[in-house]
Amino acid sequence: MDKSPRLWTGFAFPGTAWLLALFAVPFYAVACVAFGSIDPIFRDAVPRWNPLTWDFSESKIIFSSLINGPLQGVAIRTIIYVVCAMLLSFLIGFPVAYFLARHAGKRKLMYLVLIILPFWVNYLMRMLAWVNLLSPSGLFSRFMNILGVHYNWLDGSPITVTLGLVYGYIPFLILPLYATLERLDWRLIDAARDLGANSRQAFRLVTVPMSKPGLFAAGVLIALPMSGDYYTNDLLSRSPSTEMLGNQIDFFLNASTQPQRGALLVLALSIFLLIFMSFYLRSTRQHARETTR
Amino acid sequence: MTMRRRDFLRNLVITTGGITVGGSLLAACGGASSNTTVDGLAIGTPEKPIKLPVTTDAIADGLASETGTLEILNWADYHNPESIAIFEKQFGVKVTTSIYDDEAAAIAKLRNGTFKPDLIFGMSATGLAKLIAADILQPLNKSYIPNFSNVITGLRNPYYDLDSQYTVPYMIYGNGVGYRTDRFDKNAFTDENGYDVFWDPQFKGKVGVLDSPRDTLAMAMFRAGKFDANTSDAAVIKQAGDDLIAMREATNPKVDILAYTEIPAGNRDVNFTWSGDLFTALQYLPENVSPEVLGFWYPPKTITTNDFFCITKTAKAPVLAHQLINFLSDTDNALLNRTYVGYQPALETITVDLLISSGTIPESLIDALVTPERYDAALSQVTLDPAVDALWLDQWTAFTAG
Repeated sequence: MDKSPRLWTGFAFPGTAWLLALFAVPFYAVACVAFGSIDPIFRDAVPRWNPLTWDFSESKIIFSSLINGPLQGVAIRTIIYVVCAMLLSFLIGFPVAYFLARHAGKRKLMYLVLIILPFWVNYLMRMLAWVNLLSPSGLFSRFMNILGVHYNWLDGSPITVTLGLVYGYIPFLILPLYATLERLDWRLIDAARDLGANSRQAFRLVTVPMSKPGLFAAGVLIALPMSGDYYTNDLLSRSPSTEMLGNQIDFFLNASTQPQRGALLVLALSIFLLIFMSFYLRSTRQHARETTR
Repeated sequence: MTMRRRDFLRNLVITTGGITVGGSLLAACGGASSNTTVDGLAIGTPEKPIKLPVTTDAIADGLASETGTLEILNWADYHNPESIAIFEKQFGVKVTTSIYDDEAAAIAKLRNGTFKPDLIFGMSATGLAKLIAADILQPLNKSYIPNFSNVITGLRNPYYDLDSQYTVPYMIYGNGVGYRTDRFDKNAFTDENGYDVFWDPQFKGKVGVLDSPRDTLAMAMFRAGKFDANTSDAAVIKQAGDDLIAMREATNPKVDILAYTEIPAGNRDVNFTWSGDLFTALQYLPENVSPEVLGFWYPPKTITTNDFFCITKTAKAPVLAHQLINFLSDTDNALLNRTYVGYQPALETITVDLLISSGTIPESLIDALVTPERYDAALSQVTLDPAVDALWLDQWTAFTAG
């Protein structure tokens, strides 16, 4: 009888090992680089594996730069771009997921495949295709010219970068949202309608609250990669006026003599996202409690 | 994804900005350039050339070529496969290539034995200092490299390797301004204010600069009449950073290393870039567009750099390695190699007239060539003290982070 709890605990081993190997250890390595030093001859990062020897001097520089220095602008811009891209993704993605879950009928599978199909192509290739389409002589730009919209999409435009983020990550929003909406008990909507709610009220008071876990999960799923994204800006803008934190991380880690600054920015971003993540966990736990009551 | 040559160049100038060469922040604030040797890392500067230590003998004269395989380590697309095929046929050997995409990472892999090539292409002076510190190279025996006499005179005894004990120059390039001759008046570039176009709002959205802190900050310094490309003067570095921010506000330039595709595609009118990019740009011109649309302004005082070949101490085919260096230092072979690589071989025998008459470059790009005179007048980038390096990087961050 005593063995039973141990047995059940043992089932957590693969997951725990997975987390340790692919999250905790790499994250610790990043911290060791961030609080480590630089080889004086070869200028490589020298991680300090013993936390007691960690050097925090560089972290003070980076964090003050983020709060009130050269990196402040890029941090604020990243937040703005991610928030705008998320809002836009919800505006586009929610109706699509709702349609799939509620109205697609027999063609549901076909629509799902059609949504996913473009994303079988590598992200880089898709973005490069957009560079072609958005260039002044590209098909999209020429079409927009016919409509009277004369805009240089690739001229370091925040709009293009934000739209690029939406395009790149929206399937990661639609799919979990669809999974949540599909499991909704639609009889509750019908009940709301029977009790006098119009369709808008039923949507606002029943559908949206019941979709909360999916909305949060989808939000977290796209917010995390968007916040560290650097390729979208690299491919669609390449202008300093649209740089995101991911670009600075890429620069410090891959092209500078101060890789520990890149590691510190990774940590800073992780801490920021952790706040977002804990909010998500708290909400889902609260929602689970409410539904089991 | 494999890093191409120009990614290397971007990283190179950053790396050259980062090795400990002694001095202190106090010295840094004094305004003098850093140089020389500290902590086992031997670094020459034009003012203080260096004779590198030798810990082993070069191979003896008159040895027969090895048979079998010659292994080379090179950047992606940085030699012409056709040239290598000719060498293989001529010497009856097979040449295998390993690719590296980051100089520091390649040196780390050479140190730990992951890479075991006979011959390395395209290392920089900074890389050389590290390779010597790690005792990875063997001295050359130039009796196997008679074509060494073709090398640009000023590079036969370079400051980073006096007597060329370990290295033979490969490619050479200078910093300047690439532009479209069909959209841009060449007369805009005068010796005094050629860089002003990057601050001129009428060119907003049509300009680009190098994604390379040392190069682009130095360009802002040159524009302001400060010609120390390795300055440790905090005020000068700060002013250059402020000027770049002003440039960002005025013209919103693209910051990348894509001039070689963007200028020929017509997406940019003018770009601060490396001279070699304009030669590569020829391959990216759309059909029916004349090569004469590509132009280059080579500033009278600018940075000029080269890379080189070197042979590892553990080379299994050192004679063949010498022979391939000699092969690619032959004028005709170097010309053939250049048709693929794009960059300019560091050979005196490859003259402007030869390149024009061979039809490989248009007359509009004569100014992109590094002549021996230009090399002699060139400014060099040397390694900075870490504290000074941090000053440069801080200004770059202020510019790129917006």
